[in-house]
Amino acid sequence: MISYRLFAPLMGLSLLAASPNPVSGEADLEGKQCFESRKDLSQVQQREIKPGVTNIKCSPTTGGVLYWGDPFDGTIPMGDMPVEADYSHEEAVVKPREPQIDRNKLLTICSMACHNGEYVPYPENKLARPLTMHKDIVPDAMQLKHGKQAIWCLDCHHAATRTKLIDNYGNEVSFNQPQILCGKCHGQVYRSWRDGIHGKRIGMWDKGGKKRWWVCTECHNPHDVQQGERNSGFAQLDPEPAPILPKGMLNTDHERGHGQDHGGTTH
Amino acid sequence: MSSQINKQNNHNSRAKDVSRRDFLRKAGTYSAASLTGAAMLLSPRPARATKNVTWAEHFQKNYRLMTDEEKEEAIERLVKRYSEEFGKKVNVNDTPAIDGVLFGYALNIQKCIGCRRCVKACVAENNQSRGDKQQIEWIRVMRLEKGKFSEEDRDNSGYPQDFGIQVGGNAYKPAGVVLEGQHYYEADKVPEKDAFYLPMQCMQCEKPPCVKVCPVRTTYRDPDGIVVIDYNWCIGCRMCIGACPYWARRFNWGEPDLPAADMNPDTHYLGNRPRMKGVVEKCTFCIQRTRKGRWTGCVEVCPVGARKLGNLLDPDSDVRKILATKKVFRLRADLNTYPKFFYFMN
Ligand code: HEC
Ligand code: HEC
Ligand code: HEC
Repeated sequence: MISYRLFAPLMGLSLLAASPNPVSGEADLEGKQCFESRKDLSQVQQREIKPGVTNIKCSPTTGGVLYWGDPFDGTIPMGDMPVEADYSHEEAVVKPREPQIDRNKLLTICSMACHNGEYVPYPENKLARPLTMHKDIVPDAMQLKHGKQAIWCLDCHHAATRTKLIDNYGNEVSFNQPQILCGKCHGQVYRSWRDGIHGKRIGMWDKGGKKRWWVCTECHNPHDVQQGERNSGFAQLDPEPAPILPKGMLNTDHERGHGQDHGGTTH
Repeated sequence: MSSQINKQNNHNSRAKDVSRRDFLRKAGTYSAASLTGAAMLLSPRPARATKNVTWAEHFQKNYRLMTDEEKEEAIERLVKRYSEEFGKKVNVNDTPAIDGVLFGYALNIQKCIGCRRCVKACVAENNQSRGDKQQIEWIRVMRLEKGKFSEEDRDNSGYPQDFGIQVGGNAYKPAGVVLEGQHYYEADKVPEKDAFYLPMQCMQCEKPPCVKVCPVRTTYRDPDGIVVIDYNWCIGCRMCIGACPYWARRFNWGEPDLPAADMNPDTHYLGNRPRMKGVVEKCTFCIQRTRKGRWTGCVEVCPVGARKLGNLLDPDSDVRKILATKKVFRLRADLNTYPKFFYFMN
């Protein structure tokens, strides 16, 4: 036990170092990198799909996606869902999460090199224990910022097949379908999501029209749904700039001085 | 809420006064301008859109009264003019309302984080004027601040302190949520801890006051519930701006500034086709997209999925499900404008 814990980080690091990193650096030359909902974790590469038309347009100030030239660019079929819903009779697609997770080749190597049952033995139970690996993702495993210490890695991740999540029965679930995982604990939100109310869909609004469905992890960080003292499932973003003041308006004092400092003199 | 709405109301009644006062003078100027389109060619700094407006375009009928051939001609003229102006193939659609569709919009006020991405996406999609000289945005995100509840505040300051009005009792205690709308807020990161956000845009009222007041009937409600404007018949009187309780209409005071490279060539006659100086514009639920089955720009870019658009006549649509299962309200329901833009909570 002790020995692998010391060795694994080194081993992991060397594997990571050997892999190319398409997220930063040279990738920028090919086109802008923009993000959808999670900064750095829902990246899209801008490129031409037809002459004069790019797959996306990006905000010059925040890098957020402002426009879809093709809303279905880079999507795959959502796959079978265990329930009867709208999308059973229309084409539903999702953006796969696996390439996003695999940006540092983590997913490619994880089952082969580390979690192969020997090098890192499969855990005997799913009790919480301190971890030395994956601190970049979960800084303190004993203080997981999801579930108020009531859930553990193995409530979500497959104990043996680390490239998979799990459903209620422990069956393997793809990272591309996290809704099956999340839905087992967040039933009400899941139902709302299926109705197209929670979360987001883009593409064709009409009945039977093709839709791209946002999966849970495109908005939520499963390892931190608390986001500090704000206690909100969604991480803060940079806002787009405020409107330019109309002619003749010198400042916005008339809007300030409320709330935070009650009774300001600028009503 | 009420104080914000009141403020907005004040603003509107002010705007209304102004537009009434200025009505004759300004309306005179603009209608004269549109009649003497050719004279515009001689103006010293001819700006793009207005300069190229042809006689035929000036004397065409109100869109609703055009025959199919006339529509076709009008569109051909526009396609030619826009394609030359912007140096690319521009489409001008006249896609009619889809039978059995009444558009409704629902916005989750609990989710909105005030990032204004919808505002900018709308500008990119709908060819509004941009840049320092004239910036037109159809969506307005209001920031509403929550109050503080500290002991110190209770005794040292209150709300509303400098109004000088006491209603008796504990008037000098903080009132909690303050709800003054802030339009020009700047924040490092959103959502801020002590604020929430309320975006506003055209509510596509079933009984639109803007349509009632338009003296030339250039703005009207189409069968799918979208309130549209035939820009060519707009005389720029701005009565509609004064009549709108939702602050949704914008006026092109100057020549629109729309860089050719950023121009969205997929347009609709009653929607995002490039506008001229002196006309009013507003949100049309992205008529150029929605009438072809595609979601609006704002729905598609909202990073939190707070924006929903669907068919109010279809019980399976997401909007109908929201109306059926969530807590829903509309702004200024008391005015009997019957907006088809709903706000809801989880
Ligand atoms: C609530 C369920 C849940 C819990 C609990 C959880 N994870 Fe995850 N984890 C996920 C999901 C879902 C993903 C995929 C994230 C994505 O798509 O961005 C993921 C991804 C990962 C990844 C891939 C790297 C990446 O880019 O995110 C690692 C490593 C990981 N988890 C480790 C852990 C560890 C270690 C723990 C326990 C301390 C843990 N997880 C607890 C759901 C969970
Ligand atoms: C094993 C059960 C379990 C799974 C699986 C799970 N969660 Fe949770 N989740 C919880 C618990 C427990 C809480 C904490 C509720 C509380 O006490 O505030 C929580 C809280 C949350 C919150 C914050 C709720 C709030 O009210 O602030 C979000 C957001 C969330 N989860 C999203 C997800 C997503 C997304 C997934 C899938 C990747 C997921 N959860 C999977 C159990 C789970
Ligand atoms: C388009 C982005 C998006 C997607 C996709 C999404 N959520 Fe959320 N979710 C949010 C936002 C935004 C909130 C509100 C956070 C807040 O209130 O601060 C939220 C809140 C939640 C909460 C807290 C309870 C509540 O209703 O406020 C839970 C639990 C949750 N989401 C789970 C899920 C699950 C499970 C899925 C997938 C089935 C999912 N979410 C998909 C954006 C999303």
